[in-house]
Amino acid sequence: MILTRQYILAISIVAIAGSLLYFFFDPSLSELFPKCIFYSLTKLDCPGCGSQRAIHALLHGNILQAADFNLMAVLFLPLLLYSAVVAVANAFFHQQWHQGIFYSTIFVKTVLFVVLIFWLLRNIPIAPLHWLSAEH
Amino acid sequence: MEYSTQQQQPIVPGTRPKNWLVESILVTIFCCLPFGVVGIVFASQVNSKYDTGDYEGASKASKEAAKWTKIGFFIGLAVIVCYALFILVLGGTAFWQARQNY
Repeated sequence: MILTRQYILAISIVAIAGSLLYFFFDPSLSELFPKCIFYSLTKLDCPGCGSQRAIHALLHGNILQAADFNLMAVLFLPLLLYSAVVAVANAFFHQQWHQGIFYSTIFVKTVLFVVLIFWLLRNIPIAPLHWLSAEH
Repeated sequence: MEYSTQQQQPIVPGTRPKNWLVESILVTIFCCLPFGVVGIVFASQVNSKYDTGDYEGASKASKEAAKWTKIGFFIGLAVIVCYALFILVLGGTAFWQARQNY
């Protein structure tokens, strides 16, 4: 992924502003945040449902609570951070790191499998699986 | 070492097509729409087709992954902008009514 410095700076500004917003406002209490369209239409959780509340919990250091809202988002977080670090290193520190893992067929298939299975399981209202739901 | 026949070399492509995996994961998590999942499906095709030597197919899958990731991103963005406007109008109206009541 080749990101120019301008793009990275723009994304960083949006990320910092977003983090401040999600730190100071709790999406489960505030009306400031939009609800998931998929959930609004179907009353089913999408793979991203609960991520706003998960971010709020993460910014306050509650990893377990964040995992309760959206386990997948928390699991993917290190991956996204890794991608961000590589992008910054390449754009600002003259590195030529390659994100090989994102181009491994097995890895990408695993991501797809995880997303689809997570989507399916979190909508099954049985005791152990119910923990995966975003609990609207 | 000597080669008896000139071997037909496969077209060695310069770079793997971008598979949009990270972007489609982000759209899946933050835009709350199934379009990100479609992006991930095409992302997986980019790699598998490239590995089997189907460079044209990989390039097509890359374009599809880009398309669905962008669709998800822009619809998500539009929803956020519309919602923000809605909140502003609602808040503005409430503020105005509160002023009127004084």
